[in-house]
Amino acid sequence: MPNQFAEAWRHCVPGMEICTRPRPARWLLGALGLTFAGAGTAYLLLVGDRLRAGDPGGMFGGGGMAALGGALLGGMVGLLGGDRRGDRDRLRPSTFALDYGTGGSPRLGERHPGELAFRFAPNYFFPDGGGRLRLFGHVGGLLGRETDVDPRPQNSEPLPGQEGTHPVVLSENQLSIGAGADLAVALPYPILRRSAHLGAAELRWRPEVQVRRQTYDDRVIERTMLLPLTVGVRWYLSPRQRFTAYVGPRLDFTSQATGGEPLDRGAPNIGSLYGEFWYDIDVPMLVKPNAAARINGMLTLGYVHSRFDGNGINIARAYGFLGPAYGGWHMRIRPRESPVAVQLGFGAWVGSGVTAVFSAGAVLPDLGGRRR
Amino acid sequence: MSGETQRGALLLGLGVALGLSALAVGSCAQPECVVPDYTDPECRVIAENEVGRLDAAVGAELRFLDPSGRSGLDWEALGLLKEPPSGALEARVATLGDFAIGIRGAPGEALTLDVELHNVDPNTVISLGPAGAGVDLPAATESVLRRRLGVEVGAGEELELRGRLPCPERFQLAFVGDIQTNPLHFERIMERLREDVAASQEEGDPILGLVLVGDLTEASSDDEFTAMLRIVAGAPVPVAVTPGNHDIVRSKVPIYNSSFGPGSYAFEVCGARVALLDSGTARIARSIEGRLPELFDRDGADFLIAATHYPLYAGLSGDGWSREDQPQVILAELAIAEADLIVAGHMHALRDDPEVHVGSQELRQIVVGTGGADQGLGVARFGYLRVGLEVGSKPRACFVEVPPLGWAGLPNHALPTLPYCED
Repeated sequence: MPNQFAEAWRHCVPGMEICTRPRPARWLLGALGLTFAGAGTAYLLLVGDRLRAGDPGGMFGGGGMAALGGALLGGMVGLLGGDRRGDRDRLRPSTFALDYGTGGSPRLGERHPGELAFRFAPNYFFPDGGGRLRLFGHVGGLLGRETDVDPRPQNSEPLPGQEGTHPVVLSENQLSIGAGADLAVALPYPILRRSAHLGAAELRWRPEVQVRRQTYDDRVIERTMLLPLTVGVRWYLSPRQRFTAYVGPRLDFTSQATGGEPLDRGAPNIGSLYGEFWYDIDVPMLVKPNAAARINGMLTLGYVHSRFDGNGINIARAYGFLGPAYGGWHMRIRPRESPVAVQLGFGAWVGSGVTAVFSAGAVLPDLGGRRR
Repeated sequence: MSGETQRGALLLGLGVALGLSALAVGSCAQPECVVPDYTDPECRVIAENEVGRLDAAVGAELRFLDPSGRSGLDWEALGLLKEPPSGALEARVATLGDFAIGIRGAPGEALTLDVELHNVDPNTVISLGPAGAGVDLPAATESVLRRRLGVEVGAGEELELRGRLPCPERFQLAFVGDIQTNPLHFERIMERLREDVAASQEEGDPILGLVLVGDLTEASSDDEFTAMLRIVAGAPVPVAVTPGNHDIVRSKVPIYNSSFGPGSYAFEVCGARVALLDSGTARIARSIEGRLPELFDRDGADFLIAATHYPLYAGLSGDGWSREDQPQVILAELAIAEADLIVAGHMHALRDDPEVHVGSQELRQIVVGTGGADQGLGVARFGYLRVGLEVGSKPRACFVEVPPLGWAGLPNHALPTLPYCED
């Protein structure tokens, strides 16, 4: 009986030598998440601004809640049978994709267009399962000018070429560019002795740069976020569930130009800590060998500790401590024996507003050696 | 997974996608702030402009004007006008230095208006008359910040009530923020400021005003604002204010604007342009973002100082803005305008960042959230910042520590880049 009980908790990741025990792993993740969230909040509230507590406090709080939320959702999915074997064709970022993010709320006389981005994320797997390198990036921006009006009650006459009586006071275009590399290597068991209750783990290094160029009528302002030392860890809690965390320092460059002059670029400022926390749950939907297509889904919850693109979570009068949260659903559809798959998805960034994101992309075969 | 479960998951997915699409499409476009929410900075822009003009029941219309005359607008949000149920019309001047109020008489009826000016330096020369032809009124007889005037205005007549502050060759401005639950200690800071104002006047380097960089209250309650108005009314120098996140908590009442007037405005005091930005919600209104070049336009001023509640450069702290792009855009605009100093609050501490890099320029930011609010662990450092301004010299900044009762001396030391002021 004890063996049967233990076996019921034991599952294996296909293609991986290491098996996991999802329930204790999720309990541990949830407990760690709760501890970090509590410790981060206490640190923020008790130590106070005097000692610059805000940043790690906010990140531990947000990341801890993401871990706790992921463990709870993962546990519910696990109870529904979601801890069984996973599928080899699980979702990863599309090799090429187009993402559309919705714009802001409509206002009379204003334009708040959505944002379109072309993304790429090809993978190279090292020989003999030694890890993988992913290059990723995007090019995009606002789909047209974003305009805002001056609502001061000064004018009651209609304005030519405009809706309403408020004059346009801000007209902005935005170009968004990002690039980076994500190197993942399996944590070298048995160098680090593995608990039987823990799943496999990976270590990651992800240097990255993000650029936003805002163009106004007569001036250009460019913001650059450099993340040179972002490191991460991925924990395979179950054959179908993973928790990934990234943390690193951040450097911010701000540059400006007026009247067609070249941008005045200078030295960086040290920014706040950067962090990302993701919980992925695979949902194999149609994986029969003789089916016309293979369909895998993935539910993702995440928290990003950065307000580089706005949209941070504010709680009551505590503004600016947290970044946005993400929830999304993506599906990979691969016609039988096809080397190319289609990937579709949608999700929402939740912060001081809600931005819905729709994605469509193609998955090409990975480069390099086989996956471990 | 069974076929039914798959279909259920697909339907759920389609439902969520449709919901998100509905969010994307949104509802009909309406003007800003049709449903008032004063935690939205754009609604506060409307509120601060509404209280800068008064169509009084007694028959006259009053409006704050730009004293420099460079604004093309009918009125500017540079003060707060009120008509109490009885007594004089009240005009709280939000700026330091010069001010102007336009008065238009009722058609067909001459009036005598009883006007009480608040927050006006006793040395200010007040003039009254048609635009460009004002006559100076007798000087103040009391050294308080309020003046009561009787204004005779003919039927349909337009007058201007102007204030002109005589400017010394060098002067100082004081800054502090974050009082919240400790107005009692803020009163001690004001007592110390009163002593320093008297001493600086004798030394020929007078303190001309105090700038409060937000968080005057803890919960934006009426009682808290009433208490702060009482303390500020008794200040030794005029006080310019911008709100903090604790001052704009109430979404249905523009309590900050109806107490102090504008939160985002700029003025010039003796050759120093001071631009205050309402960052109470950790973001500024997009319309204010569009007006940054105008607000930071020196127009010949010798100095440019920007003051916000939220620091534009958060440093290693996570006390950042809700929209991170905005402080960086403001920094870039300040670099273009070659600003001399940024003063902020929010962090309950004294910090000096002498080199905030913006392009190839360096801006100086001083955080002075030392007005009395809880500073967490560690020895609290309360007090205010003094900035000395003299044409041809860089601004001189120093800090005046006002410790809580019980300390035999000063419990803290000066920062490496920011000295304590000499007594």
